[in-house]
Amino acid sequence: MFLAWNEMKNNKLRFALIIGVLTLVSYLVFFLSGLANGLENLNKEAVDKWEADGIILTDESDINLPQSSFEQDEYDGDGASETAMLGQFNSIATSGDNKANVAIFGIKEDEFIMPDVTEGESFSETGEVIADDSLKDEGFKVGDKLELSSIDETLTIVGFTEDAKFNAAPVLYGTLETYQKVRFGDAAEANEDLINAYVVRADTLDDLSVDDSLQLVSTQSFIENMPGYTEQNLTLTLMIYFLFIVSAVILAIFLYVLTIQKISIFGVMKAQGISNRYLSNSVIAQTFLLALFGVIVGFGLTILTGLFLPAAVPVAFNYVDMALYAAILVVVSVLGALFSVQTIVKIDPLRAIGG
Amino acid sequence: MPLLELKEVNKVFKSGKSEIEALKSTNFIAEAGELIAVIGPSGSGKSTFLTIAGGLQTPSNGDVLINGNNLIELKEKKRASLRLKEIGFVLQSSNLVPFLTVQQQMKLLDKVKKDNLREEQLEQMYDSLGIGELLNSFPSDLSGGQRQRVAIAKALYTDPSIILADEPTASLDSDRAFEVMDMLKAATKQNQKTTIVVTHDTRLIDYCDKVYKITDGQLKLEA
Repeated sequence: MFLAWNEMKNNKLRFALIIGVLTLVSYLVFFLSGLANGLENLNKEAVDKWEADGIILTDESDINLPQSSFEQDEYDGDGASETAMLGQFNSIATSGDNKANVAIFGIKEDEFIMPDVTEGESFSETGEVIADDSLKDEGFKVGDKLELSSIDETLTIVGFTEDAKFNAAPVLYGTLETYQKVRFGDAAEANEDLINAYVVRADTLDDLSVDDSLQLVSTQSFIENMPGYTEQNLTLTLMIYFLFIVSAVILAIFLYVLTIQKISIFGVMKAQGISNRYLSNSVIAQTFLLALFGVIVGFGLTILTGLFLPAAVPVAFNYVDMALYAAILVVVSVLGALFSVQTIVKIDPLRAIGG
Repeated sequence: MPLLELKEVNKVFKSGKSEIEALKSTNFIAEAGELIAVIGPSGSGKSTFLTIAGGLQTPSNGDVLINGNNLIELKEKKRASLRLKEIGFVLQSSNLVPFLTVQQQMKLLDKVKKDNLREEQLEQMYDSLGIGELLNSFPSDLSGGQRQRVAIAKALYTDPSIILADEPTASLDSDRAFEVMDMLKAATKQNQKTTIVVTHDTRLIDYCDKVYKITDGQLKLEA
């Protein structure tokens, strides 16, 4: 550490540039991870709020909630500790100049997927809904009448709840009757038993038995099968993994060039009897310090940027993930330094001192 | 027991089908308190002799004994450890680390070897070498003569029994060159070390107890 630290102190500009590059790479990694996390939440935060173990859909729906439709009595709660009925319908809600894609959830107020109301009051009549509070940022407020696309029905916002997005759309929670009204219109009464799914809690999903026409999937599997969810996550995760490799390669190249420039210095030190181990540890310590500084500054920069981002940018920083990515960045950077270690071991002190 | 002994040592370099004997069969003994000069023209084998004596290269034949330890029988790791403990190099190219101050050059040696000169011995050495005022200077801030004096201080700091100096007065004017030789002589006599100075500068031989001449790889005692 002595050699590494003093070299950095004495060559501030050179090492500041290396730290700068690592800062930018780590900034990008942290930001992408925040974006991945934010987009993930956009898709599933309403589902996460259920704290459910599984969901029952029709077998032919291909684990796609809007495509699933069955009668309430097709499942009797066998094997589940708690069940909740769910009707779901997508639409576009308009109130004055405000317009938003929404997912309408028809639920029963006394079942466990009923969200907490953070503003206003709960729905009590058909046509009343609790809305995700992200709609407030778009200008919606309690008391707004919402016109729905392609249906002659109007909903009224009576309250708001937080963290309730499904497939990137804010959720409107209402009664099952509200759902049936907006989905079936005049035919609502004829379809009053139809729902999209049962959401279940159970000690183990293996205990549940459902009809052949239905299928039970775990909540995680349900999330992963949302349209575009896995593809989007894989893309961003792949970009993060590539950045790990980029970071290792960049640092390896910088350190290798620095090591090559110092061959004669290392050679002289080896001639004096300073061991390969001491010199290698010095390069590894230097890499560790550079990566650590880069990651810390990148982290700070990311948090700072997060403070100034508009609410529309779906970034959600998960500090555990960020700490893990920071550790990986440091580790891969140190691995990149092994090229330089190999070079140091191969230095012949005799050649280095011109013998 | 001599501090340094070369027994029937030679060095042959192969270049394609031809062979060049850079150092012919050599016997050499250096005792404690001796300042020895090895003189000869460029390409005569001086550096080959010095680097074999310092364990930086292996001879083709023969044994190299440092304080009774045969370097030839040691692996590189132990050879490096013996170099650190027993040998101080004053190299033709400055052996200073450019990003360390004069004081930090010594601290670096503290990091890799514990029983170096004590604080008062170190200060005495700084005074005798006239570098006490330069402790916070970097090598780039020093003149050629100052750098060479710091290099000698570095070689002496680990309290080695043998000092191997390769052209220690190169690039120094006469006054500075004689000053450096005075310092090496004092260090040798006061601390009963062996110092071997390899040089082509014949002005230095008056300082030495023995003078060897090397011509075409053949080492001979001159005086």
